[in-house]
Amino acid sequence: MKSLVKKLANTNFGILLRNSFNFKPVSLGLFEKNYPVTVSDAFLWRTDNGYKTKFKYSDILNLFYKIKNSWVEFHFYSKNNKLIKIEKVNNLNLSNEFEINSKYLNNLEDYGTFFIYHFSENKNNLNNKDIISNRCYLGYSQNNNLYSFAHGNTLGKFTSIFSKENILTDIVKTSLFQNHTYTIQKYFDNFDKNELFFVNPTSKTIKFSIENKNFKLKSNNSLLVEIKGSLISIKSNCLFLRPTVFSYKGKYFDVHHS
Amino acid sequence: MNYFFGINDNLFKSEIQIPLFQNRNLKISNLKLFKTYPKNNKWVLKEITNKKINDFFFVLKNEDILSNEIFFLADETIVDKFDEYKLKNFNNFTDTSPAFRANFKIYLNQGGFSSYQSDYPYSMITKKGSILSSISSIANCDADKNYVLVKNIFEEPIEENFKAYLVNYKTKSIEEQFEIKTNYTNCIEISNKLIKPEIFLVTDRYLGVPMYVSEKNNFLSFEHTHPIHEYILSENKFVKVTNLKKEINEIIS
Repeated sequence: MKSLVKKLANTNFGILLRNSFNFKPVSLGLFEKNYPVTVSDAFLWRTDNGYKTKFKYSDILNLFYKIKNSWVEFHFYSKNNKLIKIEKVNNLNLSNEFEINSKYLNNLEDYGTFFIYHFSENKNNLNNKDIISNRCYLGYSQNNNLYSFAHGNTLGKFTSIFSKENILTDIVKTSLFQNHTYTIQKYFDNFDKNELFFVNPTSKTIKFSIENKNFKLKSNNSLLVEIKGSLISIKSNCLFLRPTVFSYKGKYFDVHHS
Repeated sequence: MNYFFGINDNLFKSEIQIPLFQNRNLKISNLKLFKTYPKNNKWVLKEITNKKINDFFFVLKNEDILSNEIFFLADETIVDKFDEYKLKNFNNFTDTSPAFRANFKIYLNQGGFSSYQSDYPYSMITKKGSILSSISSIANCDADKNYVLVKNIFEEPIEENFKAYLVNYKTKSIEEQFEIKTNYTNCIEISNKLIKPEIFLVTDRYLGVPMYVSEKNNFLSFEHTHPIHEYILSENKFVKVTNLKKEINEIIS
């Protein structure tokens, strides 16, 4: 009986109930699949306001699994979750980088998300329980100044390394109610401007409120919010809604995960 | 329990904001802020007063920070509990998910600044081991200068030199080596010509948090790197990391 309750409590519905009533809430779900899994963060690209974005990533399959002929795919989405482009990269180095500017995204000056998936056809060096996750590093440059780097912040989507499965989401868990609060452990004082970048890494609509303003973020959409206060609490129905922070002073800015 | 740290260096200045609340619970704690540092093989404990800027934060400015000091929250019973020969897990206030973090900012007098949400978990303090970090995954060859800060905190109050290496994984050779020390925020300058995919930062005996700084025209970038085992989420992650570290350790041994 006890093990049946435990099993039910760990189903998606069980987790939703636990999160809704704040009983042993669960932020992140498991990936147990019958294939090796490649997990991507939901990464922010910016080409608005003079920004360009640099992305640095490792060839994990070569480094840890000695697989030499793997490739990666990047899937770029607009802030409204419209697929902009898919780019495949072969011939990987141990560490790689590329720049995302407005020209690369069909002259789009905006922001949105992208995902990286590692693929291979090598079935000898991988088993069905392997899970890799490239958290990577993102640099943001405004007006061609020095890139300022931050790492990935939100586990977003996953699929099979053998590239024959659908891309799945909902690693991050939600609640029926807006009953989870996250307060950023930074004092937002003495800056000219502060922006928070949110991404909804789930298939559900996320509702959240900051500084008495309410926001709705549809599945896999992203949103930049300017904040005014010194202490920022985010109340939401998402168990892991941690924005990326941009703080500005004079001509300088700082970016970091919260 | 998490410890916090900064750097006091000729190259840049630092500031730390240590919160008095948990990130999922805004209830304000009445814990106090303490610092400790090693001296003559003993930990020296001191309470930090007058640095609480409001109910929510302690803020330590550059003049309040030395590279051999670490900071932590505790109540007044720490004075009785404190062991001058070993750091302990004094309380669980900072054991949160997501991790309890302090904003660690570096800045230049000319205006450039950069920060990240930092912590040094107690679980790392009790272990010896080695750092493995890919240089080009975050260093910036377009910058004028690149540095790696390596913070080590070890439970015993030792100030011992150990080595950090820049290792070429392709040629299996050491490109450069540095002396750094325990219980200190060390700063290593990285030549731009060594920012290549095959170059890794490795240490020989102690763990630490590697943080990368780049500078150009008074702009700064500052970010820590992921522990390498975070690339793998499956149960075999430590086996995979151990195998890779073995390979690299053969180069430096």
